[in-house]
Amino acid sequence: MTTFLNLMVVLVPFLLITAVFSRITIVELTLPAASGGATSVEPNFRIEVIVREAGLEISNAKTVIAVIPKVDGAYDLATLSDMVIALKREYPDSNDASVLLEPEIEYDHLIQVMDVVRSSILPRSSLDEADNPNQGDADDQGVIRIALFTDISIGDAP
Amino acid sequence: MVPKMNITALMDIFTILVFFLLVNSATTEVLETPKQITLPASVVEEKPRETIVIFISKNDVTVQGKSVVRTNDILQAETQNIDAIGQRLGELSENVIGLSTETIAQSREVTILADREVPFAVIKRVMSTCTSRGYEKISLAVLQKAPETRLSQN
Repeated sequence: MTTFLNLMVVLVPFLLITAVFSRITIVELTLPAASGGATSVEPNFRIEVIVREAGLEISNAKTVIAVIPKVDGAYDLATLSDMVIALKREYPDSNDASVLLEPEIEYDHLIQVMDVVRSSILPRSSLDEADNPNQGDADDQGVIRIALFTDISIGDAP
Repeated sequence: MVPKMNITALMDIFTILVFFLLVNSATTEVLETPKQITLPASVVEEKPRETIVIFISKNDVTVQGKSVVRTNDILQAETQNIDAIGQRLGELSENVIGLSTETIAQSREVTILADREVPFAVIKRVMSTCTSRGYEKISLAVLQKAPETRLSQN
């Protein structure tokens, strides 16, 4: 019995120390080549999320639709998420979006904003009635992940 | 006289733990989590692939193991493309020694591991240097966040 215990006392700490519990996954981007590929037909609606030092802005490539200021010093991703879901409901066919950032913004914010724009979770019951998400019904396993704008391109804020 | 301690329960725990950890360490990763930088977290699920790895920490930039340029220099450079990185990418596509370097060189794909606090301007310059060298597919490495099963707002 003690020999088994000796083995365990050596093996378990060693495996605990060398165990990796976080996985690396990747966000794929495809950028046009520097030689200039032909761009496809301009879609009739382009959504752009501009990340500035002061807050977030959503625009339609020409005019700003919404301005979301920072809350408590951090970007208000919840409001952004609600607005992107609403925009997706209005334009269910367009899948592309641009995220434009000012040069000094941290890389982490880029990833968070891309996450919000790419997909979101909704309570499962809300798919039955398209208008009002039934917030009271979001119990266990009652949420699914839906794709919003999957084709995201990155650029500089004007 | 010392009463004998009953350690059956302890052995049970250790046995379960050992089996769990053995299985966990058996599933090895293509890309290992770097210790010096903190990757941002995201909910994406695509697995990383065998490509050229560009590692951007707060102090310097490393391409496939060889330190190339300092992050501060990138911020001050005037051009959009960074020559040192471009040169290193060119070397890598020419120095095809074995099978693994050949798959890497032919994939025309780059994986960027950057610390979460790196400013966007640096990432943009690195990405534009890569595209100017023909590496159009760029992937950003992130830590996988557990998917949310419950709405946290309201």
